[in-house]
Amino acid sequence: MSSRRSSRSRQSGSSRISDDQISDLVTKLQHLIPELRRRRSDKVSASKVLQETCNYIRNLHREVDDLSDRLSELLASTDDDSAEAAIIRSLLNY
Amino acid sequence: MQPTSSMKEEFLKKWQMGLQIYRPLIDNTSVSERRKAIKLSADVAMASLRKGTTCWSRALIQKTATEDNFLVRQMLSGIKAETLINKKLPKVMCHRKIVRRSKMILRRRQSRSAIEEVAAKARKLIKKKTQGLRNVVPGGEFMSNDVLLIQETLDYIVSLQTQVNVMRSIVDAAEAGSER
Repeated sequence: MSSRRSSRSRQSGSSRISDDQISDLVTKLQHLIPELRRRRSDKVSASKVLQETCNYIRNLHREVDDLSDRLSELLASTDDDSAEAAIIRSLLNY
Repeated sequence: MQPTSSMKEEFLKKWQMGLQIYRPLIDNTSVSERRKAIKLSADVAMASLRKGTTCWSRALIQKTATEDNFLVRQMLSGIKAETLINKKLPKVMCHRKIVRRSKMILRRRQSRSAIEEVAAKARKLIKKKTQGLRNVVPGGEFMSNDVLLIQETLDYIVSLQTQVNVMRSIVDAAEAGSER
């Protein structure tokens, strides 16, 4: 601990440690993102992983919005006796 | 790491609870109000899976609370709702300026080898990309530490996958029912 805190080596010491941590975390990201998981080879650059991560999160947001839209349409019919109304009601515990 | 079935179950229960709270409104409002209710309860359900242990979930709860304070309080009752909603997010923004300034000073003092130059360029590119992450992860603007940011992102992605997974199953099942 104390060697890390010595003033001269401090900057390079701490950034070396976080570089390792970051590349480890970036590898974890790579395994999480479907686009990149298919590329089993480890040759994806960190910046590409981060870029794909942003894209992936944006896509997930869009999908949630789309699903919310569809669900709000379906809920319009909870008062009638259609099959879909019954399904929605039981799925959502209504 | 993948969304586990217990995560999905918990998400569904919480989401159903949120929708129950909205029920009297849902039957009598416009599509856009309904849609907002669905999305907000889904977001609070997702955030509450983490019980306030991650930065993104706290930020998401606070953001949702500004849109519907009542819903959030109801959904979180029993999980220290008050503290989660009112807890000040860390003022890491201020520290960033100090860190930036001291890094500039240190940089001027160091002389770098070629290898260090390459490493520094790579780090700069990564910094640019992590900025993009900060824009999509809730509370990202408060995470000046890159390690923290990526840890939070990992957790956020798994939670989002859970949310999408469950919502998709419900919508698909209901829509399949109507296509008979």
